[in-house]
Amino acid sequence: MNLRFLPCFLFVLLLVTSCSQSSIYKKYETVFRVGDQQEWASKNLNDQDWRKRIRLVPDGKVFWSRTKIGILNTSESLHPYGLQLHVYGEYEVFWDGVLIGKNGNPGQEAILGPEGKMWANFSIPTHLTEKGEHLLALRSSLYYFPNHTVIKVLEIDYYDDLLIDRLIESSYMHLFAGAFLIASFYFLFLFLSDKKEYTTLIFSISCFLFFILILTEFSKVYVPIHYSLHVIRLQIISFLMFGISFLIPFYFSMQFPFPKRKLLLTIYTGVLFFFFLSKHIIELTTNNMALSMWVFSFGIVVFGVYKKMKGARLVLLTLLLSVPIGFVTPFNKSLFAGFCLILLGMFYLLSLRIKEQRLAYENSLIQSTRLRLELLKKNIQPHFLMNTLTSLIDWVEEAPKKGVLFIEALAKEFDLFNQIENQTLIPISQEIALCRTHLEIMEYRKEINYSWQDEGIDPEQKIPPAILHTLLENGITHSLPLEDNSIKFKLIFESNSHYKCYTFLTFAALEERATNNREEGTGLKYIKARLTESYHSKWDFTSEPTNHGWKNTLKIYS
Amino acid sequence: MNILIVEDESRIAKRIERMTRDIFGDTLQSLTHINKLHKALAYIETHSLDLVLLDLNLNGENGFDLLTTVVSQSFHTIVISAYKDQAITAFEYGVLDFVPKPFNKDRLEQAFNRTITKEKPENKIKYLAVKGRHRIQLIPIEDLLYIKGAGVYTELFLADGKKELHDKSLEKLEQLLSPTFERIHKSYLMKMSEVKEIVVKSGSKYMAELKNGELIPIGRTKYKDIKAKWL
Repeated sequence: MNLRFLPCFLFVLLLVTSCSQSSIYKKYETVFRVGDQQEWASKNLNDQDWRKRIRLVPDGKVFWSRTKIGILNTSESLHPYGLQLHVYGEYEVFWDGVLIGKNGNPGQEAILGPEGKMWANFSIPTHLTEKGEHLLALRSSLYYFPNHTVIKVLEIDYYDDLLIDRLIESSYMHLFAGAFLIASFYFLFLFLSDKKEYTTLIFSISCFLFFILILTEFSKVYVPIHYSLHVIRLQIISFLMFGISFLIPFYFSMQFPFPKRKLLLTIYTGVLFFFFLSKHIIELTTNNMALSMWVFSFGIVVFGVYKKMKGARLVLLTLLLSVPIGFVTPFNKSLFAGFCLILLGMFYLLSLRIKEQRLAYENSLIQSTRLRLELLKKNIQPHFLMNTLTSLIDWVEEAPKKGVLFIEALAKEFDLFNQIENQTLIPISQEIALCRTHLEIMEYRKEINYSWQDEGIDPEQKIPPAILHTLLENGITHSLPLEDNSIKFKLIFESNSHYKCYTFLTFAALEERATNNREEGTGLKYIKARLTESYHSKWDFTSEPTNHGWKNTLKIYS
Repeated sequence: MNILIVEDESRIAKRIERMTRDIFGDTLQSLTHINKLHKALAYIETHSLDLVLLDLNLNGENGFDLLTTVVSQSFHTIVISAYKDQAITAFEYGVLDFVPKPFNKDRLEQAFNRTITKEKPENKIKYLAVKGRHRIQLIPIEDLLYIKGAGVYTELFLADGKKELHDKSLEKLEQLLSPTFERIHKSYLMKMSEVKEIVVKSGSKYMAELKNGELIPIGRTKYKDIKAKWL
């Protein structure tokens, strides 16, 4: 079973190893200074009075940053090193005093408008990258976010590798995204075909949000984003995280229901909102949401394992697996790897549920076939058939004309049974006709005066076949005639906006002994199975003795 | 002849009643029809009967509980039922005949004839139901060695040395148990497979020696028949 997670796990390992390769440079501390002098780019400037941090550079003023860098290996002549920067602001890049690149127009942002991008790569000329100390100086301005004077990422590697590695990484992630997009569509269609299955909808939405999340996160590789717009990307990510962080535990809560679900989910949503709204640092917000999602999901799944619910143990395993991944990989990668595992767990759960549903459906098919057979059996089971035939022979021998009437009644009952045999609901009038013919037959057999009455019948109403017939049979079997050798049956129909109610009364002398439950059981089983088949759980059936005989009440809720 | 009909279908009961009267004619002393099981049981306890005609499925009640009670009584039982698949079980319990519905007069007469003739049908009986103190015990026929008449009752001698009392007369048991059992003496019904040899004692007394060494007398008049049939 765990084998299916092996490829995913291997991929995660790959991610982990790919980011821990040996370095070819050493970075020293960066220092800052507001102002603009060209010589600040030079390698051998005394920058001891420069500050380690400046909080604010207002009005798009130019400021400089200097970072000492030790190159550990001289680059090969046709294989230059490159510099990767993730920095807020527009800037010019100086390497050992030489301008090697430009990203926007520092100092002229307000006049020229936004230009440049957040993530930029610069090639460093090979003659400037011998082994030894070098200096990177940035001449920047921060018109739009004057307090973001930070170099977020500074990396040096072979220039080609810098370009290619990120493309490879993002193409893998896009493969992932595609898989989740397809899953999202697939489960959306599943939901559309069965609108009661909200778990598939939630799963579909989770997959879709995840798809967008990957796109948003990795589009930075090929879509140039100006630093002034970067916050929008982060806000989108944070929105998506909020949605996902809510939906995944919500999904688990539907798969592994626990007590006080609504209350706990509300509290959890409150916690998420708190994190979402307190976004001082957006990365921290998403981190907090991811963490709380994990904790809450873990709680639910542990409860599921405790209650021995199906699939809970495997999902718990995937959740636990996502922990070491979270520790060994950088946040954005662990997030996706962990998500991937969790989504796989959800996938697995869904496949279990689909299997269950298929089995339930197959069972329901078997059940309705069984009910149909049971209905057919009513007229050929020996007790009915042989007793009827014996009586019939006797009538034919003793009073042929009555015998013929008997045969006609029998023919009518068989005919009615043939008409309803393959249906799950029949008009009440047909059911009543069936009961009346049955009484006619039983009159010839038992020589008791049976009479039938109905009240308030709406001929448009439908009812599962042979339900009243079964009640009638029970009534005949378990009652003794009154003093005038009669047994009376009465059917009353009432309906209101909440339910329809059939009351079926038997007026007879009851047997003194009430040990008939066993045989009544099979008849009642048929009735209950038929009601469940047509009305699921929206019905109610009671059967009880009264002082005039017996009373059955059948309520069908709307 | 005292006969009880237990049948809840009024028309069928009337049919059985009519046919029974036709068949037995003057020899019929009483004929009673009861349509309820418990009433029938009460009637059996208080009346002397020769034959009970029993429907096994009365008002949805399973008649087999009743069957064991009925077959432990002194009278013969004929089952008249719609369920042919119950016939084998009914015979195993020791009913004289099983008449499936629908039936006619000839079939009923054939069943009745078994009560008066010693016609020996292929027998399928497997148990004898014996009334214990609190409940009815089923004794497998294979455990039975021989039966000794004791007035209106009979004593069943079992392979484990135990002895049980049965309500049926030796004649009635002979009807149920033949041909594996043979009436070797006025008072003895012997399972022939248990007989090792016939020994002759002084005064031309014949004795059947059982495999366990027991000696059971053989009636003078029966000896020839038995010798012809079994030796």
